[in-house]
Amino acid sequence: MHIGPGFLSPAVWGSTAAVSGAALAASLAVANRRLDDRRVVLMGVMGAFVFAAQMINFPVLPGTSGHLGGGFLLGVLLGAPPAIVVMASILLVQALVFQDGGVEALGANVLVMGVIPALVGTAVRRLWRRRAGPLADVFTFLGGLVAVLLGATGVIVLLWLSAALPGSVSLWQAIGVMDLVHLVIGAAEGAASVAVVRFVLKTRPEAVFEGAGAPVEMAST
Amino acid sequence: MTRANRNTLLVGLAAAILVGGVISYFASAWPDGLEKTQADLGADSPRHGGVEAPPVAFHEYSLKWLGEGFWANAAAGVAGALLVLAILLGVGRLLRRRREAGGASPASQQVG
Repeated sequence: MHIGPGFLSPAVWGSTAAVSGAALAASLAVANRRLDDRRVVLMGVMGAFVFAAQMINFPVLPGTSGHLGGGFLLGVLLGAPPAIVVMASILLVQALVFQDGGVEALGANVLVMGVIPALVGTAVRRLWRRRAGPLADVFTFLGGLVAVLLGATGVIVLLWLSAALPGSVSLWQAIGVMDLVHLVIGAAEGAASVAVVRFVLKTRPEAVFEGAGAPVEMAST
Repeated sequence: MTRANRNTLLVGLAAAILVGGVISYFASAWPDGLEKTQADLGADSPRHGGVEAPPVAFHEYSLKWLGEGFWANAAAGVAGALLVLAILLGVGRLLRRRREAGGASPASQQVG
């Protein structure tokens, strides 16, 4: 879902870069307060994994594919501030090394694939902190779906604000076309998020939530 | 680094390399949801000045010197995953050094 080079107007990429830059700075400051080794390792590993997972395009409709975003998943596992740092790192590498997304659109891409889904994820995180179970599963699935739809809608709004949609197409039509496809992608995002959150919580609960079933060997100083 | 952290690192990296380096080769080549939407709406030609990074080592997700096949894709997946990991571990270390230099509360710190 990376916005390519040349689609956003200077006003739009400039203002989204400012918003994402501020969100990133705030995230670094907040994440810093609770950054222990477990957390840093989980951030690094999940970043590598989400980068890799984004390479998997799966068919959604004939002639159309989709890939995971991962910002929502990271929001659930890490909370919004570290999740935003991780997504910004992934999108930076994708734009600069792999020409995936326009360089000037980096701030916009961080907003729609990082900040927005991470905030949805952090809301669902509270459920998992209380109790893992069917309720948390269902809301994680729905949260992943909602996060993708919000991001997809955001992309269209940014393109519309940039006058990058033809005059014959209304904003609502464009959102309809975009969100219809992303309904399927979002369902995949939700299902994958449930699976990964369950796996990580089963294997490293204490890296996700402080004080959650920490193994003895953790406390080295 | 504790054993639990090392295991997380190894398992996570193995998963990333398997997914990004191997499975991704079989990914769909169809345009993604946004590209398809832009094409369907007739909004797929850039209307503003944009910046695309130069393909220094990778041409999209293929290592330039290996053409377009499995290994070119594998190199991109592995290199990208390692690069993201390195950036995040570096950011983590930098933040902690700054915090320690600033004399912030050591209560939550862990040196493994």
